[in-house]
Amino acid sequence: MKNMELLEKLCLATGVSGEEDAVRDIILEEIKPYAERVEVTPLGNVIAWRKGRNRAEKKLMLCAHMDEVGFIINNITGEGFLKFTAVGSVRPEVLTGRSVLVNGKIPGVICAKPVHLMDGGEREKAVPVDQLAIDIGASTKEEAEQVVAIGDNACFVPFFEAVGGTVKGKALDDRAGCFVLLELMKEELEYDTCFVFSVQEEIGMRGAGTAAYVVEPDAAIILEGTTAGDIAGVSPLESVCKMGSGTAVSFMDRSTIYDRAFFKRALAIGKEKEIPCQPKTASAGMNDAGVIHTAKGGARTLTLSVPCRYIHGPAAMTAESDLEATVRLTGALMEEIAGGKL
Amino acid sequence: MYSEVERLTRVLCEPHGTPGCEEEAIAVAAKELSFCDEVITNPLGGAVGILGKRDAKRRILLDAHIDQIGMVITNIDDEGFLHVTQVGGVDRRTMPGSIVTVFGKETVHGIVCVLPPHLAHGDDKIDAVDRQAIDLGMPKEEVEKIVSIGDRAVLANPIKKLMGNRVSGTALDDRGGCACIIRAAQLIKDQELDCCVMVLCSTREEVGGQGARISTYSLEPTEALAVDVSFATQPGTSGLTATLGGGPMIGYSASLDRKMSKRLMELAKEHDIPYQLEVMGGRTGTNCDSIGISRGGVRTGLLSLPQRNMHTSAEVCDLADMENIAKLIAAYILDKEA
Repeated sequence: MKNMELLEKLCLATGVSGEEDAVRDIILEEIKPYAERVEVTPLGNVIAWRKGRNRAEKKLMLCAHMDEVGFIINNITGEGFLKFTAVGSVRPEVLTGRSVLVNGKIPGVICAKPVHLMDGGEREKAVPVDQLAIDIGASTKEEAEQVVAIGDNACFVPFFEAVGGTVKGKALDDRAGCFVLLELMKEELEYDTCFVFSVQEEIGMRGAGTAAYVVEPDAAIILEGTTAGDIAGVSPLESVCKMGSGTAVSFMDRSTIYDRAFFKRALAIGKEKEIPCQPKTASAGMNDAGVIHTAKGGARTLTLSVPCRYIHGPAAMTAESDLEATVRLTGALMEEIAGGKL
Repeated sequence: MYSEVERLTRVLCEPHGTPGCEEEAIAVAAKELSFCDEVITNPLGGAVGILGKRDAKRRILLDAHIDQIGMVITNIDDEGFLHVTQVGGVDRRTMPGSIVTVFGKETVHGIVCVLPPHLAHGDDKIDAVDRQAIDLGMPKEEVEKIVSIGDRAVLANPIKKLMGNRVSGTALDDRGGCACIIRAAQLIKDQELDCCVMVLCSTREEVGGQGARISTYSLEPTEALAVDVSFATQPGTSGLTATLGGGPMIGYSASLDRKMSKRLMELAKEHDIPYQLEVMGGRTGTNCDSIGISRGGVRTGLLSLPQRNMHTSAEVCDLADMENIAKLIAAYILDKEA
């Protein structure tokens, strides 16, 4: 797919919830030539209005979140180790011995007690987050404090690779969604549309609701990088969606029951236009739709997702063809929704 | 101040070299040893640089191992996932979600399978290494064009500088030790030596030390000093005494030569080199165990490089410790009282 450089730039940027600045800067720069009007809300959401050929029958808002899961430093030990807690949902299973970046620039590693010093039971268990620490090489608290303060953020070390149609990258949840929005914004649109890049989704959807309050949409499409569980050791019945099988369309998740007509129409458009798509086969996870569909007087919503394996870990994986399908499917659906045909 | 030992560490940690596949790493070590009078390489034993008087009575072997822990591909399933087992002691807890480098016909990156928190259920148990799988994001037919059963994989992490003199990355166990002994050889290379010094970067330590065993037999040293990593204090451990940056750890053990251990301590004091002691009951779990009983027996000493997070891709060492180990080895070689 074209423009993998843009996705790479987005994935390599640091944007732990509450400090999405670096991602926002890339997006503001990218949308400049296309947005008729841009607003950055008090919490940091980017709201961009894009002119279409016609005024919209129904005010449509597209939304993807800029933030990623990560860590926040909550203490510095006398020996210069950084104690931390997770920002968003991160399994301790993916943390031991991991490389991280503190404040977007200081390399560190998450300590792992050597396997030689553990007894049998210990060897098989993930270490709880509150027992882990980041080592940045400082020998004392004072030395660490020269570069880090309590409250600073850390993230998984940036990684991106697009080879042979497969993309691997940090924070594909939800830079994949941001990427889809940016690609759509560059197209000639039939109707005026509002593009929202939200903050703080990973800590319980705190940004998008405030953006929806400002935008007052009639309808919204949420773009996500969602859980693909089609991996070794998982039964196909539990895989939720499959990487490489096209856009995942949600009927329901843990925070929203989606608009039935939107859900059915998205899958039908896929069939008509031969755009690969699949229904998400579980009601798992939640996203910004939860706060958008209840904002003000309410809005009809649908979530379209790029299937991503290994989200909320050091690197997730998706297929370029899924990104491409999601741009096309969203483009077709937004035209029908904004045109008042649904 | 530590620029040369840092350069050596970066260069030596770069190539792949899981046990039995050390060729690339051996080639890099041989290149770095090229200032020696003679360099011998042998895929089964490792790389050796020889300095000094060839017919001297005193024949000193310096040993550090060039291999690194890793994984070997045991199977490729119908969906294209790679199934593996460990070569050396891989810590299963470091695997889920990890980015891995697979050395097939091409070098490619994969991710170790793990479910996201949204779909995970059950306990915090982590599967054994041979129950985990690597995802290259390709169908079986594509995977098989690149990867074959028997190929190797590692949790790669190039050396990066932390604060102060600290470095982190994969394979510091024991390429860090290799950097120490090569650096020691650099420090004495312009001296008139009345002994023979053999600098060995040996293979297969992580699976039993076969490289050191056969090389020691061939080289016939009269005494040997090995450098390997050992445990420095870090969060979650107790009972450890050595600290990162606290200097070389001089080994004391029933299986090591006590006079050598004592002399190393005296030399450290004489040369103002900080040091700490590492006391072990019997075997040391290093190449010393096989070097010491080579042929009719070899007097052997052990200098350990303090390290955190051993056998992970987040190993941490201090360059000052490495330079100090090199200095202490140089002092030992040049020791007039030997």
